[in-house]
Amino acid sequence: MTRFIQTLTDQAKRLATRSPWIYRINAGSCNGCDVECATTACIPRYDVERLGCQYCGSPRHADIVLITGPLTARIKDDVLRVFAEIPEPKVTVAVGVCPISGGIFRESYAVHAPMNQFIPIDVNVPGCPPRPQAIIEGVAEAIAIWRARL
Amino acid sequence: MNILKLFYRNLTQGPSTVAFPFGPAWTPPKLRGRIRFDLPACTGCRACEQVCAPGAIRFDKTPEGLRFMMWHNSCVFCGLCNFYCPTDAIVQSDDWHLAHPTARMYEMAIRELIPYTACSACGTKTLASAPNPVGVEPPFSAEEIEQFRHLCPGCRKKALEERTPNHAPTE
Repeated sequence: MTRFIQTLTDQAKRLATRSPWIYRINAGSCNGCDVECATTACIPRYDVERLGCQYCGSPRHADIVLITGPLTARIKDDVLRVFAEIPEPKVTVAVGVCPISGGIFRESYAVHAPMNQFIPIDVNVPGCPPRPQAIIEGVAEAIAIWRARL
Repeated sequence: MNILKLFYRNLTQGPSTVAFPFGPAWTPPKLRGRIRFDLPACTGCRACEQVCAPGAIRFDKTPEGLRFMMWHNSCVFCGLCNFYCPTDAIVQSDDWHLAHPTARMYEMAIRELIPYTACSACGTKTLASAPNPVGVEPPFSAEEIEQFRHLCPGCRKKALEERTPNHAPTE
């Protein structure tokens, strides 16, 4: 019986690695990176769904998290709450320079940059905003990390 | 009829999805991507640091010389440093492959040093930076740049005056 469960889990893992679900958190972004994130999914020209990814609406279904924005003071608690709801193992991708270092908002009193002092970030995609292909590149890197973690 | 046209176009032209990441991606020729820094061409004028909005470019005075630092993870790729650089020492390439794991975060920086040298004319300690070419007529030759590199600001001024004698102002 235990062996059967083991086989089942292995099979589920094998299948799960082929379809990570993406969740997007806006941590006070200017929407530039959010537009590029939407572009990667909604425009057939870039189509991130070729990698098996799909945007999902609930943090509890997510495997890969795309975070945009410099983590403003006002939204910090909400972002941390939503982030805590995402089940482990999760892979975090910081899209744009804002979550990585604060970018143009660095050293401002209104943002808590850099974000990795609150949230463990696995992949960085710098750019202001990054082009859709760069986001796809970051997501591909995140999938590789997620496979290793699963 | 329209659907037949569409069907024909899809048959002949194939999918509109770009092949990336399974194939190469088209890059616009003027895309502003990764910064390239050419140390020998830098005049040390610090204009790039002045115009850099997110403070991604920094110059520090160290005992060895003037240290140039630039971090891609803070850069917003606006291109102002490229625009204001008098010698094109700092340019933006069209390389946009910047995604990296967080462990390599601080490898995304450029660290270069403009060393101190002794002025070949008067012997004072000075930066071995390229001379500023703005307003210099005729433009510097490669040998002249190397010659000026080893002069202090005062001696550079003198050498420049000797190089372009005061002409009578033309009409």
